[in-house]
Amino acid sequence: MNLRRIIPIAFALAALFCGWLGAAEPSAADIEFFEKHIRPVLSERCHKCHSAGADKVKGGLLLDSRAAMLKGGDTGPAIVSGDADKSLLIQAVRWADKDLQMPPKKKLADAEIADLATWVKMGAPWPAGDKPPVASAKKGFKITDKDRAHWAFQPVKKPMPPAVKNAAWVANPIDAFILANLDEKGLAPNAPADRCTLIRRVCYDITGLPPTPTEVEAFVADQSPKAWENLVERLLASPRYGEHWSRHWLDLVRFAETNSYERDGAKPNAWRFRDYVIRAFNEDKPYDRFVREQLAGDELSDATKDSLIATGFYRLGIWDDEPADRELARFDMLDDIVATTGHVFLGLTVDCARCHDHKIDPIAQRDYYAMLSFFQNVNHYRNGGPTDEVALEEENISEGGGKDHTAQITELEAQVAEFERHYREIAKPPKGAGAVAKLIEEDGLAVLGKEAFERYMSFKKRLLGMKRNNDHDGKALVVSEAGAKPPETFILQRGIPANKGDKVEPAFLQVLSPPPAQIAEPASGKSTGRRTTLANWIASPENPLTARVIVNRVWQRHFGRGIVRSSSNFGLQGDAPTHPELLDWLASEFVARGWSLKSLHRLILTSNAYRMSSRPAPAALNLDPQNDLLSHFDMRRLAAEEIRDSILAASGTLNKKMFGPGIYVDIPKEVLAGQSRPGSGWGKSPPEEQSRRSIYIHVKRSLIAPILASFDVAETDHSVPVRFASTQPTQALGMLNSAFVNEQAAKLAERVRREAGDDVAKQVRLALNLVTSRPPSEAEVQRGMKLIGAMQKEDGVTREAALGSFCLLALNLNEFLYLD
Amino acid sequence: MPHHDPKSAGSFCHRTRREFLWEAGGGFTALALTGLLSLDRFFTASANAADVVANPLAPKKPHFAPKAKSVIFLFMYGGPSHVDTFDYKPTLYPLDGKTIEVKTFGRGGKRNQGRVVGPKWQFKQYGKCGKHVSDLFPNLATCVDDIAFIHSMTADSPIHGSAMLQMNTGKILSGSPCLGSWVNYGLGSVSENLPGFAVMLDPIGGPISGAKNWSSGYMPASFQGTVLRSAGDPILDLKRPEGMTAPMQRRMLDTLREFNTEHEASRADNSNLAARIASYELAAKMQLHAPEAVDIASESEATKELYGMNDKKTEEFGRRCLLARRMVERGVRFIQLYSGGAHNDDNWDAHSDIEKNHNFHCGRTDRPIAGLLKDLKQRGLLDSTLVIWGGEFGRQPTAEYAKGTGRDHNAYGFTMWMAGGGVKGGVSVGQTDELGAAAVQDKFHVKHLHATALHLLGLDPEKLTYFYGGLDQKLVGVEGAEPIRAVM
Repeated sequence: MNLRRIIPIAFALAALFCGWLGAAEPSAADIEFFEKHIRPVLSERCHKCHSAGADKVKGGLLLDSRAAMLKGGDTGPAIVSGDADKSLLIQAVRWADKDLQMPPKKKLADAEIADLATWVKMGAPWPAGDKPPVASAKKGFKITDKDRAHWAFQPVKKPMPPAVKNAAWVANPIDAFILANLDEKGLAPNAPADRCTLIRRVCYDITGLPPTPTEVEAFVADQSPKAWENLVERLLASPRYGEHWSRHWLDLVRFAETNSYERDGAKPNAWRFRDYVIRAFNEDKPYDRFVREQLAGDELSDATKDSLIATGFYRLGIWDDEPADRELARFDMLDDIVATTGHVFLGLTVDCARCHDHKIDPIAQRDYYAMLSFFQNVNHYRNGGPTDEVALEEENISEGGGKDHTAQITELEAQVAEFERHYREIAKPPKGAGAVAKLIEEDGLAVLGKEAFERYMSFKKRLLGMKRNNDHDGKALVVSEAGAKPPETFILQRGIPANKGDKVEPAFLQVLSPPPAQIAEPASGKSTGRRTTLANWIASPENPLTARVIVNRVWQRHFGRGIVRSSSNFGLQGDAPTHPELLDWLASEFVARGWSLKSLHRLILTSNAYRMSSRPAPAALNLDPQNDLLSHFDMRRLAAEEIRDSILAASGTLNKKMFGPGIYVDIPKEVLAGQSRPGSGWGKSPPEEQSRRSIYIHVKRSLIAPILASFDVAETDHSVPVRFASTQPTQALGMLNSAFVNEQAAKLAERVRREAGDDVAKQVRLALNLVTSRPPSEAEVQRGMKLIGAMQKEDGVTREAALGSFCLLALNLNEFLYLD
Repeated sequence: MPHHDPKSAGSFCHRTRREFLWEAGGGFTALALTGLLSLDRFFTASANAADVVANPLAPKKPHFAPKAKSVIFLFMYGGPSHVDTFDYKPTLYPLDGKTIEVKTFGRGGKRNQGRVVGPKWQFKQYGKCGKHVSDLFPNLATCVDDIAFIHSMTADSPIHGSAMLQMNTGKILSGSPCLGSWVNYGLGSVSENLPGFAVMLDPIGGPISGAKNWSSGYMPASFQGTVLRSAGDPILDLKRPEGMTAPMQRRMLDTLREFNTEHEASRADNSNLAARIASYELAAKMQLHAPEAVDIASESEATKELYGMNDKKTEEFGRRCLLARRMVERGVRFIQLYSGGAHNDDNWDAHSDIEKNHNFHCGRTDRPIAGLLKDLKQRGLLDSTLVIWGGEFGRQPTAEYAKGTGRDHNAYGFTMWMAGGGVKGGVSVGQTDELGAAAVQDKFHVKHLHATALHLLGLDPEKLTYFYGGLDQKLVGVEGAEPIRAVM
């Protein structure tokens, strides 16, 4: 907190001032006046928030010494000795200004206010030798050796894999690190899982989809010693890989295609960013390049269409199109960028230092604004237009964003209609007076008033422009800057834009002892080059955080949790790594292998650690209940998208079409009813489009498809490092009763009839096989047949209907939703 | 390094391991089941279950003895005019039509002068406290001795989108949990068959920003509001699909349970599997009992009349107020009712004609709200039920447009009221200036209102924290807020 810095300064100043301003020794009468009329008021009514002993000092202001009052707080000196009217303190207690009223809850008595004014006029006499209370344990910001020694701030050093007794278990160095820790605790690694389990595990892990029964059979029968490696290679080469892993990245960068707030309007062509991320994963774009493209893809000397699209990173956040305070909204946008950049790439909560020094980590408020200065020149978001969009020459990029455009037009039309309705209400034009739009042009100014009239006209103009210029196709949502000359950046006291403090220059986080930020202006003259400088520092092998953070995220996705469980917080309060040396080994390998994510996957997937069974031994449960040491694989529930996609895969309706503008799945009217304009901003895609993977569903911040929302899809407004996996009865209701699941159950039944023929046993066997990726036991088949029989006999339904119900049951199995 | 040693950072962040695991989420399930799962069964399932599984909606002890157990938040969406309802401004009448100097900030931007629209209704004094209430609320006026009015409310934004978010989540930025989410996070739910945070929308339409207004933000979905409908199926997907009879479904669920139990048997260490098995039983119970909660056939005619259900105008809101009482009786922790929906005059957003707008919306709600207060009181429920009334802001004393009687938004000063749940009746705190343009005395902010609600529920607003984004987040913000003591 900046107060901690202010307080010692205040003390220093107090010492200075006492010998100077306080030169005229206050008289005994002055002191008596102070003790009788002033001190009691200060101590009873002010010191709770404005003394060094306060729990929380408000406004950076202390009123516990004359010097502190002269020094003042965030809004300036509290008193001007001798001039009551000019003293903020007096103005505040008089409650003259609406925004400056102290004490905030109850005004002082008139006599008390008069006394304070008199006292200031007297020159604010204060007894000499009166010691202000000492702030308890509050100190200035300082980075200590201990801070710098924090593991995550240390350079990455590649450790030697430890020697282990059971060398036979070590398929690659990862296993050596895991085994060494287990040995220490006297635990043994679990035996490998069976092949059915393994193929299901790895298929979901890499592609987010289940293997087909044929694929399972083939893998189980594969005698090749390279069977596993071949399977991994096949999956990594599948386009489904990018569709699955891109979603992890989209969670992190708060991807959504609308802006939230009243209109929750569509962002133009935001879907291109999603496609870019899918392509990046599928092409195994080196991670350092991936980082540079998102942070500064427009400034790169070898910029491409994709690197431009990547800068959509800056434009994905929430945006209030009518903020109450524009200046604050500007800094909120910059904060969103600093926060996302800090969390995602560095695993640090830099944004905690927006209003004060970070309370836990050695990140000063100065660091925050120094980082913000890299982004300061970014043009404010306007949801389209030349500062947010760039035309791409259409080549390899798939079709354009017609739907976003239509949705925006619909919204603008609604706005215009609102004004016209207002106008009709007030002006009450007689029937036959002509078109309202025409009438408003004539006397709208008089009827609606200047502001409303101008707003109406601007909406009309925009609408007209959008209707005429129906060519959002071919454009991408990008970042842009206001020229080559950067504006100045100041520390904002308490994060308030009006409270400008010291000027800061671009610099990297002090605690990392970084090189100076050297900025080279790009030749284009369109931007400052600052973002490139930041991107290069982040994407550098020397940065102690970048590689560690991303390999940990990849580990988290494979094993269900990171080596550092708090995967977006590598700071002092984050969790310590369970396997620090393994983390560093992975980070070094990753960089050495050209920042290749596919190489990293390969490395992890071919370890024995990854292939262990998920049934823990009793000893492991006792000694290591959280499975920190990884003696077994942790089961996991499928994520929301995996659940929906798996249902489509099971029923055989999954449409594997890739890329392009978002699709609109049917949302029940009960849910649409929660909107102020039911169905607004939501289209209706044809059935085959609706059967595409969930990654292609249009992400509207205020309207999430129920099956995704219910199963904990990422919240859209902040960076999300870890999904929740909640269990709620409303999920069961949706899985039993929703239209979507029932339609799919019927399709699964159709498929089963088609592929298994008339035999009930075969039908049951196939249905179970499709949802569990393993041949069912005879007892399971019997159980299914028994249900189908009983429904026919007891409930009097047809065999088809009974099979439909059994298929619904199949989609509700725990085994369907959980991976071993 | 005292300044960032967690142990010396006061109450900044003393997370327990369990909280942390839950927050970090990786590999662990947040379980949203109430009651049905016996804790014994849970904690003996394996040695580590107690450590790993925290049921976020299990009833929790408050920080101190609560006054209120439930909250009914009557949200007058669009922003009701305080000077036409509860904030009596006699000096405003004669100024009608005159253009005066006054600072306002609304949809039409910031202005320094405006044309006064005199209050369109007369005020009378009511109750022992002699409270002035306008003719818009003749029924509610008879309850003033049970109500605490806060006339000096302020908010950070006079724009619907951000102001709605702030009234519901404390923040003008989208993405934070709602008051109802915080309450369920802090206290858990005691209702087995109904959600702990129920939202009943006006059939006219939803509010702007839709589901953001009952979102759990960065908290798990377990804490988000569930939309409860007053007609038809109360909860989404509550009804069995066509062709699926109750016995059929029972048979299917029994077989499902056999499959799932067998699957779980060799995976007993994973208590999420047991939880999911149980969730199907709970869902079945909800199917059975939730419709009963919204079925008012058993209510007497006198009760229905009390809520105005015998009058077409008040029937709809009356039904929802009655349902709110039934929710309270069934242990629902937080119930939010919207009056008004969609856009413009379909809600309280009276930009062009204040008379037409407020006659309509007050006409629909006056009797039902009075009925709710009286019914809660006669059943002894008012003491433990906090009722909050208000919109996302109030309205200006001046006109928005050059013609007409509409008022623009006003976040500088507006009125909200509270009743029951430990709130003092017959009091009014705070004041706006003589025009009603801005709060001038004992100003309160939305966060003070939130702090008051939490405090009455036995939760310390400074201590109710949720670790997210490197910070112990609070509903009342980092700087905190005191409850409004004058109403308690």
